[in-house]
Amino acid sequence: MATLDLINLTKQFGTVTAVDAVNLSVQDGEFMCILGPSGCGKSTLLRMIAGFEMPTEGDIRIAGDSVTHLGANKRPTAMVFQKYTLWPHMKVFDNIAFGLQLRRLPRAEIARKVEEALALVSLSGYEERYPSQLSGGQQQRVALARAIVLEPKILLLDEPFSSLDAILRVRLREELRRIQRRLKITAIFVTHDQEEALTLADRIAVMNAGRVEQLDAPTQIYDNPATLFVADFIGAMNLLQAQVSGGRIVLSGVTLDAPPGLQDGAATVAIRPEDMALLPDAAHAGAWRAVVEQISDLGHYRRALLDVGDGTLKIYLPKSAAVREGAQVAAFPRRYLIYANGGAPREVTRALPAEALTV
Amino acid sequence: MTTLARTSTRQRQWRGAILAYLLVAPPLLLMVLLIFIPATQSIARTLTISVDGQPGFSFSRYAAFFSDPISVNNLLFTFQVTLLTLAVIFIVCFPLSLYLRFSTGRIASAVQILALFPLFVPGIILCYALIRFLGTRGTLDTLLSLVGITGYRTPYLKPEAIVIGLVWESIPFTVLVLTAGLRQVSDTLIESARDVGAGDWTIFRRIILPLIVRPALIVFSLNFLGIFGSYTIPYLLGPAAPQMMGVFMQQTFGQYRRPDDAETQAVITFLICAFVGFLYVRTVASQRLTREEE
Repeated sequence: MATLDLINLTKQFGTVTAVDAVNLSVQDGEFMCILGPSGCGKSTLLRMIAGFEMPTEGDIRIAGDSVTHLGANKRPTAMVFQKYTLWPHMKVFDNIAFGLQLRRLPRAEIARKVEEALALVSLSGYEERYPSQLSGGQQQRVALARAIVLEPKILLLDEPFSSLDAILRVRLREELRRIQRRLKITAIFVTHDQEEALTLADRIAVMNAGRVEQLDAPTQIYDNPATLFVADFIGAMNLLQAQVSGGRIVLSGVTLDAPPGLQDGAATVAIRPEDMALLPDAAHAGAWRAVVEQISDLGHYRRALLDVGDGTLKIYLPKSAAVREGAQVAAFPRRYLIYANGGAPREVTRALPAEALTV
Repeated sequence: MTTLARTSTRQRQWRGAILAYLLVAPPLLLMVLLIFIPATQSIARTLTISVDGQPGFSFSRYAAFFSDPISVNNLLFTFQVTLLTLAVIFIVCFPLSLYLRFSTGRIASAVQILALFPLFVPGIILCYALIRFLGTRGTLDTLLSLVGITGYRTPYLKPEAIVIGLVWESIPFTVLVLTAGLRQVSDTLIESARDVGAGDWTIFRRIILPLIVRPALIVFSLNFLGIFGSYTIPYLLGPAAPQMMGVFMQQTFGQYRRPDDAETQAVITFLICAFVGFLYVRTVASQRLTREEE
């Protein structure tokens, strides 16, 4: 267990900057998710921490000690890779024991540790099997056991569940969180799956174009995305172009109140679908007149697409909401964020009319 | 399923099976006609002697071969040259293949082209080139003299020349197969070994080597077959005695006009090669089985 500090970490491949001056501190025992779209530099960042890539600039410190100059085999980290990386010629026992054998531990201790690690990932009794005799999920569990058996200071996970089916992914995700909490190990988990990040992480670093756009707790990232990129990338969001003028935000089809001090000019208004309410009365101040274009049942809630003349708005409704397709309604934003001039977003919350339908 | 649908499925299966047999038939027929029948006939002939005009079973031809010191010496010499050549091939080609697998860039591409170059040089041209290069007062002798090294002893017409020629000829195939085998060992397998603390040597010994046993066995067996039965290089570069089996057979058949003895030599060579061929087939078959299991 240890802290991890990335100081001004940069990686360039020729003229391409994959990771651009990243500063990040991970606390002891924290579960940090690095989230971002493909090609944002998150895997390169992880590979630099693991020692598979050497940074062009910057420093990596584990428990306060710089490890930047150390090779991957000398670092106190262990990694679970995206693809199945069990050595096919070794049985499960040997796969897990390999790192311990390199550390010249006594045989009895190796056997005990392997047994414990397998029990931790619920695979006791699989010691004598070859990787080809295991399912994808079992292979990734063995890979996890192989990493944690070494008791690394930092556990690194590079989209370890991305090649598994959805149900297995959720199950392994929960299992991983249980193991991480039990061992109190510092973990860095790279993913492009926001649901995975939001469920697992103590904190999330959202990356874009080699930079960390926002570093925060999952709730903060979701509720208060710091940039337009984060707002667009995390969860569903209605992003609308607007013009701020004289304390009012003018959008196509509606005019909303601007927070005090917001300068005149172009802006983007971001509204979560669950922050929209549906009013049965089609005409309502500060609400769009809309026609219900499509309704989809999504289990415990319903999603409606509303035609507001100049575009479509997404809105979540309670399962019990008696709304039919083609109905004339009003779409009322009860909470929205305004992004203007590249600064921090401004939040506006409005009182909900009594007749509103909302999740 | 209706009876009609069942009949149609059965018809499709039949058609597929017939097509498969038709595709397999030509190579199978060629093998039977050109290999199995002549080989069986040859083996049968070498085990038959004529006693009072009547054919009878006998090992006398083999007894004659193994009691003849020249024949035994030639067989042992063939084994020695083959095994020595195989050892040198692995010593030369393994590092080369590792370099080509793990290196990128222009130098690696140039090395790859150079390694494959012998593939495009016919054996006989290679032999004369080596004679010009290695022979007394050849290129190497001249170059050594220029830097003051005298007393050069040429390997030409010695076993070493055969080994040099065969190694040169085998490099492209060996490098191609070994590099392809090494490419099957993914970077992530190596990285995960490094991640748990393995250094380069441990990765090579514990991860890479075990994973390329099959390609190495394929290289060993196919090179063995080629070298053991080789003719041109041993004939042009090797000594007059002892001789490799290919040269020995040709001389027994063509110069000494003893076709029965040449046939016995051929059967012995064939049986040795067939055993190594069996190893190759077993390796390939087990590789296919593993892939199907995966």
